[in-house]
Amino acid sequence: METLLTAFLASTVRTATPLALASLGEGMCERAGVINLGMEGTIIAGAFGAAVGAAAGGTVLGIAGGALAGLVVSCVFGIFAIWLRTDQIITGTAVTLGALGLTSALYRVTFGTQGVALSIPTLAPLPLPLLSSIPVLGSAFFSQPVLTYIAFVLAPVCSWFLFRTRTGLIWRATGESPEAVRSAGGRPVQVQLLATSLSGLLGGLAGACLVLSQVGTFADGMSAGRGFIAIAVVALGRWHPSGILAASLLFGGSSALQYLFQAAATAIPYQVFLALPYMMALVVLTSGRRGHAAPAALGGKLENSLS
Amino acid sequence: MSDRLLDLRNVQKRFGSVVALDGVSLQVASGSVHALLGENGAGKTTLMRIAYGLTRPDLGRIGVGGTWRHFRSPMDALDAGVGMVQQHFSLVPSMTVAENVVLGTRLPFRPTVIRRIVLELAEKTGLPVDPDARVETLSIGAQQRVEILKVLVRDARVLILDEPTAVLPPQQGRELLSWVRNFCTEDRAVVLITHKLEDVRAVADAVTVLRGGRCILTGKTYDIPDDTLVGAMLGAPLEPVERVVRHAPSGPPILQAKDVTLRDARGIVRIRNADFSVRAGEVIGVAGVEGSGHRELLRAVAGRLKPFSGSLVLPQRVGYVPEDRQNDALLASLDLRQNLLLHDAARRRGFLRWKSVERSAESLISAFDIHASGPRAAVDTLSGGNQQRFVLAREISDRPDLLVAANPTRGLDVRAAQYVLELLGKLRDDGMAVIIQSNDIDELLETCDRILVTHAGRVREARPDRDLIGRIMVGAA
Repeated sequence: METLLTAFLASTVRTATPLALASLGEGMCERAGVINLGMEGTIIAGAFGAAVGAAAGGTVLGIAGGALAGLVVSCVFGIFAIWLRTDQIITGTAVTLGALGLTSALYRVTFGTQGVALSIPTLAPLPLPLLSSIPVLGSAFFSQPVLTYIAFVLAPVCSWFLFRTRTGLIWRATGESPEAVRSAGGRPVQVQLLATSLSGLLGGLAGACLVLSQVGTFADGMSAGRGFIAIAVVALGRWHPSGILAASLLFGGSSALQYLFQAAATAIPYQVFLALPYMMALVVLTSGRRGHAAPAALGGKLENSLS
Repeated sequence: MSDRLLDLRNVQKRFGSVVALDGVSLQVASGSVHALLGENGAGKTTLMRIAYGLTRPDLGRIGVGGTWRHFRSPMDALDAGVGMVQQHFSLVPSMTVAENVVLGTRLPFRPTVIRRIVLELAEKTGLPVDPDARVETLSIGAQQRVEILKVLVRDARVLILDEPTAVLPPQQGRELLSWVRNFCTEDRAVVLITHKLEDVRAVADAVTVLRGGRCILTGKTYDIPDDTLVGAMLGAPLEPVERVVRHAPSGPPILQAKDVTLRDARGIVRIRNADFSVRAGEVIGVAGVEGSGHRELLRAVAGRLKPFSGSLVLPQRVGYVPEDRQNDALLASLDLRQNLLLHDAARRRGFLRWKSVERSAESLISAFDIHASGPRAAVDTLSGGNQQRFVLAREISDRPDLLVAANPTRGLDVRAAQYVLELLGKLRDDGMAVIIQSNDIDELLETCDRILVTHAGRVREARPDRDLIGRIMVGAA
């Protein structure tokens, strides 16, 4: 039983890691008032970048490649949606579809038409001394690849930044009322570009995580909707970094449960567990202090009469 | 120029083909309250947005305290000691007062510290606020105090206030003006944008009148008689407002409220046990301060809010001119024909006959003298006054039994406001019942046969007495 629980928890954390990275990125971006539907695109670009980087020069270059590719894709989104003020929803969707197609094409150009499975170095688990020897939890939480630890540390760092720094205050105010920020002497356009870049960086890391610590190769469309799930995770976590991390673990947990039930062959179809977190997200969105958690200016365009 | 705290020279600004400012200069002496007077569209706000770095001038220089400056953003202006409170507040509603005050400053960011800073500043300046309150829960007056504190926390020496008394009930407006007087010591100055002569008389040392983007007149307030100021503002002498002859309405009651209780969207009781009736052929005024329930009362008599309890009998057809015409009455990017169709869109079925719609729009344009390029002109190409005329024209086009208008003259210049009030009087004479809500008691006294005052959810009919109404509004009678 204990090994089963440990296996379940380890599987939860593994599945949750890329989701947590992408969701934190999306959450930070939405806090600044930008809804980045290009997240799915940044993840797949990150995965491809990681595969190329790792094949060329090992895992460190893989991580860097993933982050860089995610950043580039989000910059494309940012230039259009924020700089040129195109519609965020349409631009995000276009960027995602473009990135999915482009990575498929580039993969074939780079690695051959057969799409031969790449063999690239992967990230080994990095057991933390002492912590990893805690019974049950130790090997589940503290014997994971380095990207998992990054995701866990990032949540409190984001919280601290948003709620305990002056820049964080401006960041949140930009998501609520860009006009107020402008009047107070801030630069909402810069904040939003920065927020978009950060979301791209984290989306890229999420893609790198898929390639380097889970699958070990690149495959077409391997982001598998995680960028869209991230948007649900952010809502479920009520736009708060620690809430987002918890919601990611919840999504990870239900995926892990699904594997478990698939193996156990029970009467309940395993798909029910896959659907569970989405239903919870809907319940959270429709209940409680409605409209209070979501940034007021989310998805809006900026008025910019300074020209 | 050492005593000139703010010095604007030959400022020019165009928006497209429209010349907003045509070489305006303004010198504000330290220690003085300087009123910037003019009608809507005279360029007052544009000039001050330039002084605050929100708009860039095409030409001209800005001097602060004897140094020429170049403002790229409000940050530069604030650093130079110039701060502005805009007419439409720019606060973050979901954040606390303290967070709003320190937003964009370089103050140490720790909740306890910023709380103390805000409390101390509130104490020092005599502008009471609760640092922990969320801005969205505050009254308009309190939000205005937060806006002023936001500017003062950065040691602004030049404070620009854009129409600060327009949003306040009379008593609070007077309090604000006396605060302005006290604030304006030796090394400070206040620029007061207004189109109210009484504000100028109450507090301003100097006055500059703008008209059509040009500086028409400038000087010491006590040197200039009222007639000269009004003449400079309007360009031509204004016809005296025709006093309404109050008469007993003869028509049958068309609206009856018995024991009506109203709740707002959040379930909070806004009006409690109200009893009143309205007859055909009378103009009823509604006065009340922010949060007193007048907003809900207006929406209820317009048929937009169902009473929570009690009985409210309304006539069949009601015309409604909401307070926020741009958001609640018009679709700015659509043309006049389509906005005309909105009027009874919910009741109509079937196909649209564009030709007849176009003809009706044309007839409204000519009957109400609306300045528009035609029925196909988009609403946002019309000025505020013409938009208001259009909404009014549309709402009375099918001759309703009752017309409900919230702040019908808000944001209109003297001439446009006079037109609207005269029109409402004419409708009354034709046998229509009219309910007007206004923040301007004098306007109600001039136009209305009877006046209802709301205070803390109670509705009371008051004699047409300025002082009495003011006291009921603030709960002192």
